[in-house]
Amino acid sequence: MRYIFKFPDIGEGLEEGTIVEWHVEKGQNVKMGDSLVTMETDKVVTAIPSPKDGIIAAKFGKVGETIHVGSALVEIDIAGIEGEAAITEASKSEAVEEEGAGVVGTLEVAGNSAVLSASKEGVESSSILTEKPAKVLATPVARALAKESGVDINVVKGSGPAGRVTKEDIIRFISTSSQMGSSPAQTDSKGKSHQQNIEIEPLSQIRKTIAKNMIQSKHNAAHMTVFEEVEISELERVRKKYKDKFSQEGIKLTYLAFIIKATASSLKKFRALNTEMDMERGNMIYKKYYNIGIAIDTPKGLVVPVIRDADKLSVKDIATEIQTLSDKARDGKLTLDDMKDGTFTITSYGSIGGLFAVPVINYPQAGILGIGRIDKKPVVKGDQVVPGMVLPLSLSVDHRIADGGETARFINSIMYYLEDPVSLIME
Amino acid sequence: MFKEYNPINNKEFQILDHKGKVVAKEMMPPIKDDELLKAYKEMLFARTADLQIVSYQRQGRIYTYPPNYGQEAISGAVGALIKDSDWLVPAFREMGAMLAKGVTLKELFLYFMGYEDGSKFSKAKKTLPISVPIASQLLHAAGLGYAIKYNKEKDLVYAFVGDGGTSEGDFHEAVNFAGVWKVPVIFIIQNNQYGISTPTRMQTASDNLAVKAIAYGVKGIKVDGNDYFAMYKAIQESIKVCEAGEGPVLIEAVTYRKGAHTTSDDPTKYRTKEEEEQWDLKDPLKRLKSYLIAKKIWSDKEEEKVIEQYKVEVDRQFLEAENYGPYPKEDIFKYMYAEMPDDLKDQEREYERFMEWKAARAK
Repeated sequence: MRYIFKFPDIGEGLEEGTIVEWHVEKGQNVKMGDSLVTMETDKVVTAIPSPKDGIIAAKFGKVGETIHVGSALVEIDIAGIEGEAAITEASKSEAVEEEGAGVVGTLEVAGNSAVLSASKEGVESSSILTEKPAKVLATPVARALAKESGVDINVVKGSGPAGRVTKEDIIRFISTSSQMGSSPAQTDSKGKSHQQNIEIEPLSQIRKTIAKNMIQSKHNAAHMTVFEEVEISELERVRKKYKDKFSQEGIKLTYLAFIIKATASSLKKFRALNTEMDMERGNMIYKKYYNIGIAIDTPKGLVVPVIRDADKLSVKDIATEIQTLSDKARDGKLTLDDMKDGTFTITSYGSIGGLFAVPVINYPQAGILGIGRIDKKPVVKGDQVVPGMVLPLSLSVDHRIADGGETARFINSIMYYLEDPVSLIME
Repeated sequence: MFKEYNPINNKEFQILDHKGKVVAKEMMPPIKDDELLKAYKEMLFARTADLQIVSYQRQGRIYTYPPNYGQEAISGAVGALIKDSDWLVPAFREMGAMLAKGVTLKELFLYFMGYEDGSKFSKAKKTLPISVPIASQLLHAAGLGYAIKYNKEKDLVYAFVGDGGTSEGDFHEAVNFAGVWKVPVIFIIQNNQYGISTPTRMQTASDNLAVKAIAYGVKGIKVDGNDYFAMYKAIQESIKVCEAGEGPVLIEAVTYRKGAHTTSDDPTKYRTKEEEEQWDLKDPLKRLKSYLIAKKIWSDKEEEKVIEQYKVEVDRQFLEAENYGPYPKEDIFKYMYAEMPDDLKDQEREYERFMEWKAARAK
């Protein structure tokens, strides 16, 4: 006897969740209450326990995949339960299906096209059910999305039960209208529309957060960027000298560790760059701690863990910390504590590619330092052209907070430390 | 005691410290070993059930649930002292006190499954249903207290509210009214540090919540709510005050919600792991357990054994609730008004049409 366990609405009106981790394998015995899978939802990240004793017959979905509320999560073989009990189970699984496994109530779940397919019956019955409603029927998520995207929800054709407009309808409406509104380039030579040749994926939680933060920064901060090149042959020599020694201790000594140290030391001298502006209360908040965020590229998206009190740490400590945080980021194990309370951010895209970029400030911080690709280049020393190691820097600041002079003095200080790394331990 | 612990001095009443050692022997209430063990087991049962309910919710088998985890000593002490003839006026995080009054787990399950019958208690007398609208229940409590006094009865009212509830107008009205009429109500604020995500320091500018009693002219005390003995003693003293016609009393029970606000909440978004670990050391059950083990009347082995029994019992009552049968339509519409108003009639018709549509669709 097979029981299909569907992803329940565990948070009052959820539409979907993302699989974070599976805790069971196919063929594994489970008891009621055992963790099956960890799901990330808009509300919580939580383990989903098994509602049955039995053997896992199938798992639906890989890590990272989105599962809609009411869609199958696992199939459990509950062969042990026979006879009358099995019949009850069968009728129950039937009942669960009907209710869309929702924990918000039948009416709410019925409004979710993810649970009930966009069936004809639903649309037809709308003529019976709705007597010219003053307000179009829609799920709250769809309303919010329509408002956000500037779509008039009243003109969107609903595909849900009783003609209810769903999130998917809005997404479809936006993509269709943008295609209709643009040039024939959207259609191929035969005049056939590309409409079918797209893939629509719901935004992940992390992507939503990134989008929100980026817009907030661009909207609130007055971005200004200064570019510099610094010659770091001496730093390269120092790094080479200690690199192997450190690697024996399992520590990877990167340029970034020195740059973080140089930045923290410079922030201490130029306090305007380690601040936050509170326009509402009319205050500048000067921070007396130096927590440097480092932007890390992960398959799921950008994350910015924080190296705490970087001014008090040695280059070696910083290198160790970078490694710990990068490992955690890669394994998706960063916690909220790892990512909060940053006062300044460094993004080192150069290790992947790019000479100069204009980084977006990690709002409400006052600045962000961008590290470009280090190249061997001809440089002029005295009157001689000699080979040098050139590191490109881009410093974006919030021009409301930092004036041009202060910004230039700050980047000069960073360059000073990087040109002459011994100075990092002299002060 | 109320003089010594005048809340204006912000002193917290404690008998058993965080390590399970008695620090105020002279205040220790005389509780017999078997009574104490019974109370501990009841708290353990409530905790076992609480943890299991969160699991049921994650399985999609009940709706939203507010966990009690970490706050058991407050309900436990009330449960030990409340009489059948006293009124219990819960908010929604007082499982232990409700069970002590005779409410069954099955009834609580029915409530969280959406059944109206979950508020119809077969055995528990003088127990109001769970109240989700914050602090509204305190007005009912004040009214019950007034009725007791009016009828010249001897009973008491135990009324619960959270820290967030103290910012509601209802809280002010209820405690003020109770103070003016000197009614026998023990108001218990479960200060679990957060009103959903709002920390107590953002909830009030007062040093503590018990201090609000002073303005209402009633007795107040701030108690370590994770200390069973302190809670027991504070309630005992409050009973005396009420019996002498000097009530009401306002008790602030300082505790910590170890779980989420409800199953829809993620506390990691507003509090740190360090903070949780700090409070974990003050866990009410761990403390009492250390005390009981030191007294050689309890052991880990016994605890493991009873927890296993409790789990079976919780599951049993849950399955009973799960097989309760379909939800009668009348439960939703019929019971609020003697005669149904038109808008409710409209809603009922709409619901009937929806069910017809659903039935047709299933064919």
